[in-house]
Amino acid sequence: MTYDLNVAHLYGDLMNTYGDVGNILALNYYAKQMDVHLNVKVVSLEEDFKAADYDLAFFGGGQDFEQTIVSQDIQTKKAELTKFIESDGPLLAICGGFQLLGHYYIGADGEKLPGIGALDHYTLAQDHNRFIGNIVIKNQETGETYHGFENHQGRTFLGDGERPLGNVISGKGNNGEDGTEGAIYKNVYCSYFHGPILTRNGDIAKHLLVAALQRKYPDADFSQQKALPIPATF
Amino acid sequence: MSFRSGVATFAGKSSYWFLHTFLHGGSSLPGKITLKLDPNILRTLGAKYDVIVITGTNGKTLTTALTVSVLHEKYPTILTNPTGSNMEQGIVTTFLNAKNPKTGRPLAVLEVDEANVIKVTQYIEPKAFVFTNIFRDQMDRYGEIYTTYQKILDGVALAPNATIIANGDSPIFHSKELPNPIQYYGFDNEPDSDFKAKPNTDGVLCPNCEHILHYHSLTYSNQGKYFCPNCGFSRPELTYRLTKLGEQTPTSSKFEIDGHPFKIQVGGTYNIYNALAAYAVGRFMGVEPEQISDAFNANQQVFGRQEVINVDGKRVTIILVKNPVGLDQVLHMIDTDTHPFSLVGLLNANYADGIDTSWIWDGDFEQLTDRDIPAVITGGERYKDITFRLKVAGIPDDKHIVEPDLEKVVDRIQAVPTERVYVLATYTAMLQLRKILATKGYIKEGLGV
Repeated sequence: MTYDLNVAHLYGDLMNTYGDVGNILALNYYAKQMDVHLNVKVVSLEEDFKAADYDLAFFGGGQDFEQTIVSQDIQTKKAELTKFIESDGPLLAICGGFQLLGHYYIGADGEKLPGIGALDHYTLAQDHNRFIGNIVIKNQETGETYHGFENHQGRTFLGDGERPLGNVISGKGNNGEDGTEGAIYKNVYCSYFHGPILTRNGDIAKHLLVAALQRKYPDADFSQQKALPIPATF
Repeated sequence: MSFRSGVATFAGKSSYWFLHTFLHGGSSLPGKITLKLDPNILRTLGAKYDVIVITGTNGKTLTTALTVSVLHEKYPTILTNPTGSNMEQGIVTTFLNAKNPKTGRPLAVLEVDEANVIKVTQYIEPKAFVFTNIFRDQMDRYGEIYTTYQKILDGVALAPNATIIANGDSPIFHSKELPNPIQYYGFDNEPDSDFKAKPNTDGVLCPNCEHILHYHSLTYSNQGKYFCPNCGFSRPELTYRLTKLGEQTPTSSKFEIDGHPFKIQVGGTYNIYNALAAYAVGRFMGVEPEQISDAFNANQQVFGRQEVINVDGKRVTIILVKNPVGLDQVLHMIDTDTHPFSLVGLLNANYADGIDTSWIWDGDFEQLTDRDIPAVITGGERYKDITFRLKVAGIPDDKHIVEPDLEKVVDRIQAVPTERVYVLATYTAMLQLRKILATKGYIKEGLGV
């Protein structure tokens, strides 16, 4: 392989519910077709995350208990994660990962738990209800349609400077109210989609990989990588 | 028996007789009728029995069947519930269906759904509980592993004197202080080393101090000789030990428990756990190791979920898969086959299958890619998901047949280049495939599932 990307799998041993590891597998699958080798490292509790060490990051969803623990530990990585995001580092955050990049979320017992506030959203809870089911959204800028499966109690509200990953065509989305699903900020993509998201929506994998390549190798020509066809898988 | 219970029991028994005789069915409706007439009926029905409750997300059915055959070596009369009747109505039906015991105090060995343990312990104080394991399973129904365990404990709280016989290799079963006497079983067949479970493993946080658990040895998922390097929390002392693991094939396993040799006619490490649980209950109830060995040897028909069907000379093994840990174990088991085989993956996402197909990505299909499998067929209502899963795992396109239509899948199976074929199917896909195989005359309808 001509190119190398270092991937941080944030809390991969704790935030790993609903086949999230499939996103790493899908990234690898498309990376190979782009002549890219991925070095994936799990960065977990009490381990350092240095923004300069990584070209791409993935942050999955977890069970309530695990997410509570991560909510505490991630405060020690807040500065470096924010630095990574602000310097256009590509990051995919799903479900609990999405929530923890924002200001706070309300946990299963009603307690308010901190995120890192790198993105400007917050997450409330709903009583005795979850949004569960298949979901389809459309990204208004690219025209791409994304398919997924949502399963979340949290209701997330986007802040200034964030735009949704897509508008809900069928399903509930971020909060069941405003028709948005997920978030995009710089090169950060957030979503509630399981499936996992990159296995059904290879275009997002391609956006992430191309962004990481252009950031790491600013003088290289990636026209071939950008032209990689992504056949439908769903 | 009160008048109300008497009427309820009579109504239930009559409906069972009617359904069984004329409709060849009746596993939960009689219980439903009886419960309507007398919601407290289990107190009356269960009072005569020493009850052993077997619960957990995986392995309940086989552990129950094995435990029954082990206990039969010493106890002539044992009541048990048929597969799938593990909720309140099915359990009531099981008691209704029982002949009145003539002498002594008979045993009832019941497979009980995790959330239904409390429905049993409200009325009956069991002699023992068996906890097999708790893995993620159809999470759209019950939630997370801690929630599931809490549901079990809510039931156990009503029976503080019952002995708990638990899988000691599963950290969650050591996470709460309980008043009950507890015995643990587990694997103790490897020298100690020090490592972590693979990243997509559930339940690896120390219940004591919330650091990541390490392992001296590990069987699969998060089960093994765990310890916390931070606070010293570790696997409890085992009462029953698997001391040696011998040859494993897809259809048999050899091992030693407490130094006694055993063989079971079924593959899969998960089935050794089931046998270990049955051994533990047997020893707890005074059955000798030699008798337990006899019971294991005599018991081939209980392993019904791995059915081998002859399809025009092809040896087709159909295996039900329903959650990531089970799937991983099945993949590991078929990989112990020394003969070449073809692989079929059939995925549906109806309610009984689990409506979210994400879990197939937690199954380590990558472990099969070194085998160079000559033919892989993917199908079912969600064939696109399973097709892409296997493509990502590295199955080459020229050996991969995509066939959504199960009728045609059967034709494709007849044409694969190997004699052996493993079909991994979710619940409703399995039912649909069996129906087609029955129509074509390869199996009799209605058997097995």
